[in-house]
Amino acid sequence: MPIGDGISSEQAVRQAIGTHVKRVWRFALALSGAPDVADDLTQATCLRALERHHQVTHTDRLDSWLMTICRSIWLNEVRSRTVRRAQALSVTPDAELVAPGPDVELNIFAREVFTQVILLPEAQRETVMLVFVEGYSYREAAALLEVPIGTIMSRLSNARKKLQAAMPQDADEAFQRRET
Amino acid sequence: MTFSDDMLLAYLKGSLGQEESRSIEAAVEADPVLERRLMELDPVAPIVRQVFQNVPAADPKPDLPTLTPASSAGPLRLLAVAAATAVLAVSLTFWLTRPQPLGWAEQAALYQSLYTADSISTLDDAPAAIGAQIALAEDRLGRSLNLEALEALPGLELKAARVLSFRGKPLVQIVYADTQGNPFALCVIRQGEGAPNRGLRQEVLSGLATARWARDGYGYMLLGDRPDSDLTAQLDYLAATFSG
Repeated sequence: MPIGDGISSEQAVRQAIGTHVKRVWRFALALSGAPDVADDLTQATCLRALERHHQVTHTDRLDSWLMTICRSIWLNEVRSRTVRRAQALSVTPDAELVAPGPDVELNIFAREVFTQVILLPEAQRETVMLVFVEGYSYREAAALLEVPIGTIMSRLSNARKKLQAAMPQDADEAFQRRET
Repeated sequence: MTFSDDMLLAYLKGSLGQEESRSIEAAVEADPVLERRLMELDPVAPIVRQVFQNVPAADPKPDLPTLTPASSAGPLRLLAVAAATAVLAVSLTFWLTRPQPLGWAEQAALYQSLYTADSISTLDDAPAAIGAQIALAEDRLGRSLNLEALEALPGLELKAARVLSFRGKPLVQIVYADTQGNPFALCVIRQGEGAPNRGLRQEVLSGLATARWARDGYGYMLLGDRPDSDLTAQLDYLAATFSG
């Protein structure tokens, strides 16, 4: 079915997958807490999205659509079927995923932040990933996660408290140096 | 009610009382402009965003089938989704029941990680000996390794080649020293005909930067000396001269 921009809905979905696959993977990591599961959840999400390309009528916000599919597969087909996440949390998160930069101290710190994010409860983790990392607004995240905006804000407050405890005072500056 | 930046920052830092916090949250619900201000002042968000910016390091490459118009919702497609979901459930269970047996790449990286600059400083094999080692390796692998190309890897000096074995498959470890004398390696394993081709995958294994791929029944892996060793120049070279 042709949609806007002169492309078919299938092409639009393929393009969206190409553009957003990294974000989908990060979200899958936030949901499952495990890189291996994130790989497979991303694959299942992309397949499912392609299956449903006929649902797509415009190219706007296909990223949210992919995230929603990812979360629905996680909630309905994976998490419910298998052991609860809680048992997996005894395993140390794979902080090696954080690409090292030239500054050793900063690397240690980045891995610490990564670890703390992965150790957050699932609800806080998925919210942190959507808002802090992917830049969704509170109300967009609320719509995507189907909770009130107040819930998003209180999840973020709780997450901030835990993450700030792991951050040195000058963390912000150090990262800005790295960016420049 | 209007809120000052200081008050919003205090909220974000968790130093505001419960009542004031609730009033900010209630106001944000109705006010997208306030929401944006609050998001911009957040001291934690930019740090977390930076940490995750390059996670994962490489774009995941999902395997996307070509849809044919007639079968877009046909039984094969549904089967594919069912299979992907089943794989997912299995893999989650698998992950939860670690430790997993090590694959060849993990095993080789673990072995290579035991090498230090000292281990290779005494490896002073004569060119003829290295030639013989490579010839043996070629014989076991059943393919040519192109000694000249191996010797010309940028920034690396060829030190030795060893024939190892992983679960009955010949695994060749070609040891290099970088300009500081640190150990690098190129490993080649014969995986057998029909083994799937795999695109380049870079990850840190046993504390070493690694890059691996598989083509035409052989697996290849380049290993650095540290988690952040830069393998770009060697990979570019291998891509151009050492196509499996």
